[in-house]
Amino acid sequence: MSATKQRLAAEKRMKVERMALDQVDDRINSSSFVQKALDHIFPDHWAFMVGEIAMYCFVVLLVTGTYLALYYTPSSADVVYHPTPGHGYMPLAGQHMSEAYFSTLNLSFDVRAGLVVRQIHHWAAVVFMAAIAFHLCRVFFTGAFRKPRETNYVIGLTLLLVVMLEGFSGYSLPDDLLSGTGLRVVFSIVESIPFIGTWLAFDLWGSGFPGSSLIPRLFVVHEFLFPLLIIGLLSAHLALIWRQGHTDFPAPGKTETNIRGSRVWPQYALKSGALLLFVFGVLALLGGLIQINPIWIYGAYNPYAVSAGSQPDWYVGWLDGAVRLWPHWEFRSFGHEIANPFFPGVLIPGLLFTVMYAWPAIDKRIYRDDAYHNLLDRPRDKPFRTAVGVAAITFFTICTLASATDLLGNDTHIAFERLIEILQIGVFVAPVLAGAIAYKACVALQRTGNHVIMQPVGGILIRTADGAYHTLGDEHHGHGEIHDHVDGNGGGNGRGDGNGGGNGHDDAELEEPVVGGKPQAPGDPNLG
Amino acid sequence: MTFLRRTPRGSGRSRRRVLAGPATLVAIAVAAFAVLSLTGGRSASGATAPVSNDPAVINAGLQLYEVHCQSCHGANGVGGTNGSPELIDAGAAAADWYITTGRMPLNNPADEAIRRHPFFDAQQTEELVAYVNALPAINAKPNMTGPGIPLVAPACVQGTTDQPAGCTTLTMGEQLFSLNCAQCHHEAGSGGMLSKANVIPSLRNATARQVAEAIRIGPKPMPIFGAGELSDEQVSAIANYVQYLHNPEDRGGLGIGHFGPVPEGFVGIILGFGLILLISRLMGNRG
Amino acid sequence: MSTTEHHGQRADDMVDQARDPALDPEHFFIEPGEPWPDDVPRDQDVHWWRFRDDPKGARKAELKIIALWGVVPLCAIALMILYVVGGQPQLEGLFLGTAMICLATGLVIWARDLLPGHEVTAKRNHQGGSGRLERTGAVVSLSRGIEGMARRPFLVRMLGGVIGIFGLAMAFPIASLGARPHRSLYKTGWATGKRLVDEDGRPLRPDDLPVNGILTVFPEGDSHANEAESDKDPQSATVLINLGDAKFDVRPGTQDWNVRSSTGLIVAFSKICTHAGCPVGLYNTQSHQLVCPCHQSTFDVLGGCNPVFGPASRSLPQLPLGVNADGYLVSTSDYKEPVGPGFWNRS
Repeated sequence: MSATKQRLAAEKRMKVERMALDQVDDRINSSSFVQKALDHIFPDHWAFMVGEIAMYCFVVLLVTGTYLALYYTPSSADVVYHPTPGHGYMPLAGQHMSEAYFSTLNLSFDVRAGLVVRQIHHWAAVVFMAAIAFHLCRVFFTGAFRKPRETNYVIGLTLLLVVMLEGFSGYSLPDDLLSGTGLRVVFSIVESIPFIGTWLAFDLWGSGFPGSSLIPRLFVVHEFLFPLLIIGLLSAHLALIWRQGHTDFPAPGKTETNIRGSRVWPQYALKSGALLLFVFGVLALLGGLIQINPIWIYGAYNPYAVSAGSQPDWYVGWLDGAVRLWPHWEFRSFGHEIANPFFPGVLIPGLLFTVMYAWPAIDKRIYRDDAYHNLLDRPRDKPFRTAVGVAAITFFTICTLASATDLLGNDTHIAFERLIEILQIGVFVAPVLAGAIAYKACVALQRTGNHVIMQPVGGILIRTADGAYHTLGDEHHGHGEIHDHVDGNGGGNGRGDGNGGGNGHDDAELEEPVVGGKPQAPGDPNLG
Repeated sequence: MTFLRRTPRGSGRSRRRVLAGPATLVAIAVAAFAVLSLTGGRSASGATAPVSNDPAVINAGLQLYEVHCQSCHGANGVGGTNGSPELIDAGAAAADWYITTGRMPLNNPADEAIRRHPFFDAQQTEELVAYVNALPAINAKPNMTGPGIPLVAPACVQGTTDQPAGCTTLTMGEQLFSLNCAQCHHEAGSGGMLSKANVIPSLRNATARQVAEAIRIGPKPMPIFGAGELSDEQVSAIANYVQYLHNPEDRGGLGIGHFGPVPEGFVGIILGFGLILLISRLMGNRG
Repeated sequence: MSTTEHHGQRADDMVDQARDPALDPEHFFIEPGEPWPDDVPRDQDVHWWRFRDDPKGARKAELKIIALWGVVPLCAIALMILYVVGGQPQLEGLFLGTAMICLATGLVIWARDLLPGHEVTAKRNHQGGSGRLERTGAVVSLSRGIEGMARRPFLVRMLGGVIGIFGLAMAFPIASLGARPHRSLYKTGWATGKRLVDEDGRPLRPDDLPVNGILTVFPEGDSHANEAESDKDPQSATVLINLGDAKFDVRPGTQDWNVRSSTGLIVAFSKICTHAGCPVGLYNTQSHQLVCPCHQSTFDVLGGCNPVFGPASRSLPQLPLGVNADGYLVSTSDYKEPVGPGFWNRS
């Protein structure tokens, strides 16, 4: 009885669903796409969520940033602050300040929910960069940047750069003593660039430092240019993930040609929405309970005052640390000079990012691997790559530590001179050491027999440098090799599944002709 | 850095009677030069707290001095052979500051004088300060009088019209602190680091009087700020602002040490991102 | 895009395939008409959910969700009240966060326990690109235009040139972004006979500064060498130090740049760090060193503010000092070299 009722109700609902979808389909022929979208499969692994966390931080930043923009005035015009007890911050009463700082104070003290939103915004930026950094590490260590995902890696790296600049521009907008000091250093770094430095600095600032044009310009950059760029790059990033499918860790039954995971609808979608709320919730708790960047204590920017402990936000810390660690070298000759900040402030980050951008190509050379990969490496399986990554992380950590030498000195009572000297040596030694240890650890892990859990058919699965899988000691089942379709040495056994049946149809276009019906293998140049 | 605790009270008291003879001589000397010292080279700053001229108090100070200070600073504060400074021109402010912040006495002259729990109690401090204050007279060098203990004007009360006379505002203090103090002590008074392993102390424990004294005496490696740079009112304003910094308005929540972006980064990465990562792990598989 | 012929042909295929019970229509990643891949299982129960066969468990999960979501309106009401009474950042954050986390936790339980979701395996699309025929088709289409264009090589070259020149014109407004790097890089507000004033504009006499005293000074009636709105030219900021009897290493040609007060030698140096331009504010009176709080460049004042530690490689420029007829401290000229950090055209 009730079962019948339920079936009837279900049929009724389906009718409504059909009507709604029909309305759309009549117009944009969307049903196949809708179905593919709802059934799209994402592999399950917690490490794959980090990019999503980063994206949701960005959503939080957009929402809170819009609220802040309503109350922020991007202007360097001089105003006098007149708080009244209970409304505003009394220790700054009667002081001259820029309108930017003035409006940030008002935002923090007088606009309802202004401070909590401002702090959520700032914490979101801090966590955003943390998530991006972690995501980059995950992609690097698991070899997710390999063919066919090099482009997406490059887009992601560009996102990292843009978000870093976006974060720094936001940090600079309140025009407090801390951010003004940061801008002063950046002006000097820009100024130090050979040939064009002074021109570039004066073009960016509109005049010498500090000038009155920078704050409005930063606002345009922070509010419009960079967010637009991030939205564009992020869309491309996601579109490529959608089109290429997500990578997955190797496991029994998983191959380069299949994908295992959850469908988007309904669980994944709901959980993903929940993650957005979790991210927002945690950031709201942080924003409400833990103070970040109390600009009222720092005071308005004043170019001849400075505070001890002037540091940038953590994601720029490594640059500040590099600037501290670089020795007192400058080059002067023929009436020109290359000033000190150029080397650690422009050259080193430039070189580092060049290497990072080039890594997919470098990796291809190292492992002679131009094959098509959907299954990830485990870090231990590529000891050299893992070692390079660990060395890079160590380098960034040492540089970041160096940006806090004064605070470390205050804590430990060790002279900052000693700390800097130690870190100057450490910045060379520690990465090499950490890399070597990581290499050894990888090799050791490979031998521990952890692979036993990955036995698909009773043998021990090992993976060769070029991505092929072999099972060892698999006498029972009588075949020593499985899924060798990506064997970069040209040893493909011609089973033909190597490149996925070749017909690669677009999700959205079911009408693609099925040509020949015979799978082809055009995508692997190494096979030839 | 261990500090050998001694109990000064009992021994000082008992010796006071024994040494009554020489002490009277000192008292006479003090009385003779008291007028000179008051009219003579007082520090440039104006209002100072009164320091006892009572010979009995000075005597008590002498007893303490002989036990705890003389081995380094020499008899009558003429300076020691181990490089310890003479104290004749130190003045009451310096004596009060070094003693109340626990920086003196120092076990080993090579140790760094950092803030500790004060070794002497309030009465002993008063006696020692009176003695150091009398040193120019005792040494017959009235021109070497050091700065007296500055009087700190009260801080203005927010939101009332009934203000104490000569009160200083927080905004004046903030401006002066930002210009003169923040570069070393941090804009939030959290402290920092100077060259040659000199730790810049946090100002969280400094009383208004200690702040004013430190400004006037410039305890090395800190520079000195004379009356030509900062008026008494300005010094009071800074001292009162530092009191405010002990508990600044943390409208945003936990202050996490007021050290700026470094602790913020740690909290953001470990607590914020860590928590989110943990949650996404707990959410489990999507399927 | 496919042509209509393909479309028709495909539709017929689909009709045939739909009758094959082996091809579960739930597996959309396996194109009808293709053989079932070896590595994709056929028996995937996509309608499974956690408590499908456990009504008690399902009820429990539902109750959990109800409890969690019940918190949300409470938080919402609290937030509304808070807003009306004026707000309190900590409570706002707490309620906002709690509401979102409760909502999210409920969603997760709903999705995990009560909604269908099962790990499924399907064939990946887009394996190694398209087939040869599609690729050839794309090349043919592309070359249709390229070949046409290649017949007019002059036009191609001209288009490039024209766009280049036009782009150049479009780049011209960059020049309006900022002034030319001008004399503010080389000059400050100091000049012959300028009195030194403190932050409040008060002129100073040598005896205003006690031994081991330090003060930030500015040229009187600042000349606004920068067009900055700030009332003082930041490039002119100078520190004035009374060194007492400490032995100051006078460099040749600077013998008369210092002033002796009744208590000691008074020297003046630029406050702008020669490394990255931060104000060099920290003065260690024990070692007579100026330290920059930004990157810990350390300058030995007694040696003429030469860098002794840290990334700075140039001395802080010294300001020639004098005393005017009224007994006030004055500068006897501007700095003899550009102050602040280095740049390409500095020397």
